[in-house]
Amino acid sequence: MSHKQSAVELAKFVDKGVHVKLAGGREVSGTLKGYDQLLNMVLDDAVEYLRDPEDMSRVTTNTRKLGLVVCRGTVVMAVSPTAGIEEIANPFTAQMQQPAE
Amino acid sequence: MLPLSLLKAAQGHPMLIELKNGETYNGHLVNCDTWMNVHLREVICTSKDGDRFWRIPECYIRGNTVKYMRVQEEVMEKAVEEQKKYRRFGQGRGGRGGRGGRGRGNERGGYRGGRGGNRGYGNRG
Repeated sequence: MSHKQSAVELAKFVDKGVHVKLAGGREVSGTLKGYDQLLNMVLDDAVEYLRDPEDMSRVTTNTRKLGLVVCRGTVVMAVSPTAGIEEIANPFTAQMQQPAE
Repeated sequence: MLPLSLLKAAQGHPMLIELKNGETYNGHLVNCDTWMNVHLREVICTSKDGDRFWRIPECYIRGNTVKYMRVQEEVMEKAVEEQKKYRRFGQGRGGRGGRGGRGRGNERGGYRGGRGGNRGYGNRG
């Protein structure tokens, strides 16, 4: 049935770097080695981005090595390719500034 | 108007998605499915407290982590059009209601769904 097809196509990310956000706030990135329809994923050379102990909602650039891991699909929130992710300045301020009248 | 019809009509349009954890994702919807999993392009992710931002070229979001999605007003009109088209196409036996396909496979001569009159007798000759 076509309408039972998932919008998620991880095939194109195999052997590429992916960044995964997990329920509970952890963020992991690694090389995608395998996956299934439930979004379980095998990541090689995985690293976890540590969070600020003072503010656990804030991820830092500090990492810890995890190695080869299986991410359980049920706790995966978001998946994106590592390439091209960058932290930027607030891009919405320009829109919020109204011309003075 | 069904939520998933609106989401489907929003394909190709920019939208905002807030996750249960408070993060928001602004991007163009590429694809979606019946679980509300979505594929976004050219995404700007905003942290829960709204003071950090990331640019992400593309991103998949699992449907069950979504709190809500904001779509443009135009998408509503498009969805209404799609709905009309669908109704015309599947007149009389649309996707919902009508003759249910399940459960009464071996029942003979009995109730055969709401429409179609004497179809049950015609088959016997």
